[in-house]
Amino acid sequence: MRRIILPCFLLLTCPVPGRAQDVKIPPDVEQLSARAKETVEVTMDGPMLRWASKFLSAEDPEEAKCAKLVANLKGIYVRSFEFDKEGAYTSEEIESLRSQLHRPEWSRVVGVRSAAEGDNVDVFFHLENDRMAGIVIIAAEPKELTFVHIDGPLDVDQLADLGGEFGIPKLDQKSLTKASKGGTK
Amino acid sequence: MNHNDPEFDRMEEALKKALRRQQAPDAFANRVLARVAQQELDRVLTKRESILTFFTRPLTRWATATALATAMIVGGLYYRRAELKAERERAEGEAAKQQLVLALRIAGSKLQLAKSKVKQIDGNENSNRQVKE
Amino acid sequence: MYSEAVREPPMAEPLSAEKSAEIADSDFAEIVHRYEAMVYSIALHFLADSAAAEELAQDVFLQLHANLGQFQSGDHMKFWLRKVTAHRCIDYKRRRVLPQVSLDEAPEAAGPTPTADPLLTRRLRQFVASLPEKPRLVVILRYMEDLSADDIAEVLSMPVATVKSHLQRSLAMLREKMQREKITRAPGEVAQ
Repeated sequence: MRRIILPCFLLLTCPVPGRAQDVKIPPDVEQLSARAKETVEVTMDGPMLRWASKFLSAEDPEEAKCAKLVANLKGIYVRSFEFDKEGAYTSEEIESLRSQLHRPEWSRVVGVRSAAEGDNVDVFFHLENDRMAGIVIIAAEPKELTFVHIDGPLDVDQLADLGGEFGIPKLDQKSLTKASKGGTK
Repeated sequence: MNHNDPEFDRMEEALKKALRRQQAPDAFANRVLARVAQQELDRVLTKRESILTFFTRPLTRWATATALATAMIVGGLYYRRAELKAERERAEGEAAKQQLVLALRIAGSKLQLAKSKVKQIDGNENSNRQVKE
Repeated sequence: MYSEAVREPPMAEPLSAEKSAEIADSDFAEIVHRYEAMVYSIALHFLADSAAAEELAQDVFLQLHANLGQFQSGDHMKFWLRKVTAHRCIDYKRRRVLPQVSLDEAPEAAGPTPTADPLLTRRLRQFVASLPEKPRLVVILRYMEDLSADDIAEVLSMPVATVKSHLQRSLAMLREKMQREKITRAPGEVAQ
């Protein structure tokens, strides 16, 4: 089992620090790393993000855009597990992730269930005064489970700008808007 | 070696003086420690390079990225040397930057997955609509 | 009595195996400080190039760091450092395929010169730098580190008789050179 633990400056297995609106990674999900063939963990809170962003080059257009986005963020948290075979995690474990977002401040803007391919993707926006304050992505694939939480005053345009940078594809805002009106299967 | 030769003795003394130990250059130890830290970082980075394949497997959408870790060398001893601290912070900062990039790539790739799924749904809806019409 | 320009602080206690393991994590910086002058100076007097000497010395300590767990005592570590430094000096020279320089061409080793007779010091350093590799190391270890022939033989992995032979011949050459300089130098003329 390969485990890539990246939060080198913070305790590796600490859950996301508690704040009222924080999304925590449940312990049973954290423990998926024991079953995973490969695990990627990234935990970067505000100070760490600001410090890391100092090393983004202003002369590199891509890194400059990234720095602009990151400047307003409070944290980036990623857990990604890749498994040897299907069925390594349960729907209850996924639901324990999703259930944290059943709160007024979180809106699900994308919820895709693909029975054929077994891919389930949920994208949640945290809105404060109609402005983006965070995003959570839960991607449950047959042999892979990924949880991403980007916390902070996040402008969707800025996020969209990152599309295509570093290999992040462009995000079509129209698709997201359409999906929020009932694109789930 | 036994010399009863004052001149020889003087020569030996002169050699000792000429070859006496010299102070290492300023901050030599700091530079050594920085190289040790960098070496550890490189070793871990090399070990982690193969996770790039993680990002190109089927069903994964990761763009390539470098993974890092620098936890091994951080110790209180190193903070006592300002120069070493600066060099180390630079290495760690680069590592943190890569973390950041990696996290954004992961987020972006999953957004792309969501987007592709939405497009797929849109495509299905449109074709269904056309069929009805 | 040979007095060292730089002294090492005494080691508090001999290293146990457990202590060696602990050193790997926390005391390495102290070890570097303790031995940096020794390692750097061997390299400096051998290479007569302070930048190269520092590079080589850094490499020695990197190698030390990779092998920290193996030392049983401070003396063991010191022996290891001298040995590795000496061998790296030879490797360094051979990799760069530098020709042997004559005494007159040999660069002066960087570093402060004792004020008693700076010209003599400079000439002696040039002389040492002009020696072939192994005799050069023998002379450095003998007069910088005050090692016995037996110790030098162990560090350089050569027979004691060879060490003595190198030392004798090197000193004989030096003496002859010094004598020649005294004879050929006109009164008041300074050696270049």
